[in-house]
Amino acid sequence: MRAQEAAYRFSLLVCGHPEDAEDVMQDALLKTYQHVTRIRQPEAFRTWLYTTVRHACLMKRRRHVGEPKEFVSLEHGVKGTDGTLPLEVADRARPADQQLIDEWMDGRLRAALKQLPPSYRMLVVMREMEGLSTKEVATITGLSEANVKTRLHRARLALREQLEDR
Amino acid sequence: MNTPADCKAILANISAYLDGELDSTACEAIDRHCQACPTCAALVNGLRDTIGLCREAASLPLPESVRQRAQDSVRHLLNRELRKG
Repeated sequence: MRAQEAAYRFSLLVCGHPEDAEDVMQDALLKTYQHVTRIRQPEAFRTWLYTTVRHACLMKRRRHVGEPKEFVSLEHGVKGTDGTLPLEVADRARPADQQLIDEWMDGRLRAALKQLPPSYRMLVVMREMEGLSTKEVATITGLSEANVKTRLHRARLALREQLEDR
Repeated sequence: MNTPADCKAILANISAYLDGELDSTACEAIDRHCQACPTCAALVNGLRDTIGLCREAASLPLPESVRQRAQDSVRHLLNRELRKG
């Protein structure tokens, strides 16, 4: 799979939103492009790429934490003559893409993944969906292999529980 | 006769069992336990199905138009970087 597609899929599965995933993919690929000559072993490229995408996902999430849940339009956020204050909630999604992505993956699985803590979601995506080995996931996350296995086990149990609730 | 301690040991080893990391003796012990314990059998099957569902979903290619747009955005980004030198 090409690097950009791997980066986009991973970001999409972790972020769940096409536009966020696109931002993450761009950040990660730009960093990869700038540093690619320093990667001496070809097999290290995969872990480098996923490490960079994972980092970009975490940064994206951190930025979202500080963002307001709703955006007030400059044009409409002013009190009107009738005293009302209409709110416009920003919708960053491209509806067509979002619909295609919704149809791409089993809706029950997508909803269950969304409910997992992000660290569990990333592990499930890397290991079960992107097919990375325990060793690769350990390198990417900075955890020991034993720790990856323990956390993946908990993540699988949590995902199963979420799926059963649906 | 299975005890709660047996079930606890099974729970701790299910992932290793499903990932094929246990030796045949340990696998047989889990199989025997599950034949007599419907709760653990359901858990093993549930986790197997969960993993299967993830792998099945991962094997589906991204929708073509979504993939194409992502590709275009990368091309645009890299061209911009190349122009910068």
